[in-house]
Amino acid sequence: MTEVRDAEARAASRRLLATSERELQRIVLDMHDGPVQDIFAALSQLQVLERALAADPTAAQRARQAVRLLERALGEIRNFIGAFRPPGFERRELGQIIEGLAVQHETLTEQAVELELPGELGDCALPTKIAIYRILQEALANGHRHSGATRQRVSVERRGVSIALTVSDDGRGFEPQRVLAREEDVGVEGGHFGLRGIQDRVEMLGGTFTLESAPGQGTSLTVALPAE
Amino acid sequence: MIRVLLADDHAIVLEGLRALLDGEPDIKVAAWTTDGTEVVKLVEQHKPDVVVLDLELTSIKGTEVIAALRDRTTPPKVLVLTAYNDGESLRSALDAGAEGLALKTESPQQTLTAIRQVHAGQLVFPQAARRWIEGRAGGSAPGDLTPREREVWALVAGGLTNPQIAERLGLSDNTVKFHVQHLFSKLGVKNRTEAALKYAHGR
Repeated sequence: MTEVRDAEARAASRRLLATSERELQRIVLDMHDGPVQDIFAALSQLQVLERALAADPTAAQRARQAVRLLERALGEIRNFIGAFRPPGFERRELGQIIEGLAVQHETLTEQAVELELPGELGDCALPTKIAIYRILQEALANGHRHSGATRQRVSVERRGVSIALTVSDDGRGFEPQRVLAREEDVGVEGGHFGLRGIQDRVEMLGGTFTLESAPGQGTSLTVALPAE
Repeated sequence: MIRVLLADDHAIVLEGLRALLDGEPDIKVAAWTTDGTEVVKLVEQHKPDVVVLDLELTSIKGTEVIAALRDRTTPPKVLVLTAYNDGESLRSALDAGAEGLALKTESPQQTLTAIRQVHAGQLVFPQAARRWIEGRAGGSAPGDLTPREREVWALVAGGLTNPQIAERLGLSDNTVKFHVQHLFSKLGVKNRTEAALKYAHGR
């Protein structure tokens, strides 16, 4: 009886993960179709105006200010879209999606990602693919913000019926229990779901979560999720 | 004078970019359209040097438009304009064979700069994407290239088309095509952009 209920709960969790990705996709699309086009077009016009106002320094100065404000707004949207736009989960295989994320991380942060991907990795079930992507994204962001390391290592491999993801760095490290406890107290800010969020995603899919870190010792995070 | 064709679903974006580009002494907007299916025909008519193409067109896939342009004897340079700076967009643009990528979430000035850069024969992609392609194409170049293939490779990397290479080397178009095909398969690349990137970074 409990087993049946567990299986139902797990199936519901899997559906929920896919649904929240679809919602994100819709929000990102709305941002893309609306504000991005409008602000980009407005900036083009303003830059023409700024040039036309060359003879009137005060007016040109105001136009320049408006340009700067709009550029800042666009920059914020860029970060938002970068973090939330789902990749082509249904079109791309697991390895390609991970490669894309590594390139994106390097582009945005200039922190190197050493990627280890076996050629015969193959694909996996959609909920696992989504979870691996979001967990890797979060882990890379954490490693960039906190580790102080110049590079991170990422490896993904098949272990029997599981897909295992390891993200590690030789940065400054931390005490896992303290960070997890703090996240429990204050929640997680700025759209980042934190270590606690990584754990939750792993649990939802019935996987395993291993975190090794200590001050001065670097950090290594491994999650293994059912491939099918 | 750099002749530019603009293709974007959003009329307001076209209007803004046109106004901006028209103010530049070295750039002329030769044509523009909000209908992606018109691009190939307009390129035929106006023979622009650079096509600025929104990757997220609704009427047709941006990557299909690029592929159709690639098939021409003298293809224009293609600068992809997109709101998305993630691996997915980069990969689509690179795989299709575009020469560069500019972002709608950056200042339009950046688009202006990128138009000049692709026209000058540069490839405008983030550094991280170049390393990515190199890795994917299998590292450094194979040692079994013939001297002729190396010559052709250098010219492909310089942004020359097959007919231009034929003229430079005093060969027929077909012979050049043959060398280019062999070169691509030895390098393990799919198109001229990848071959050029590999030339710039590997050799």
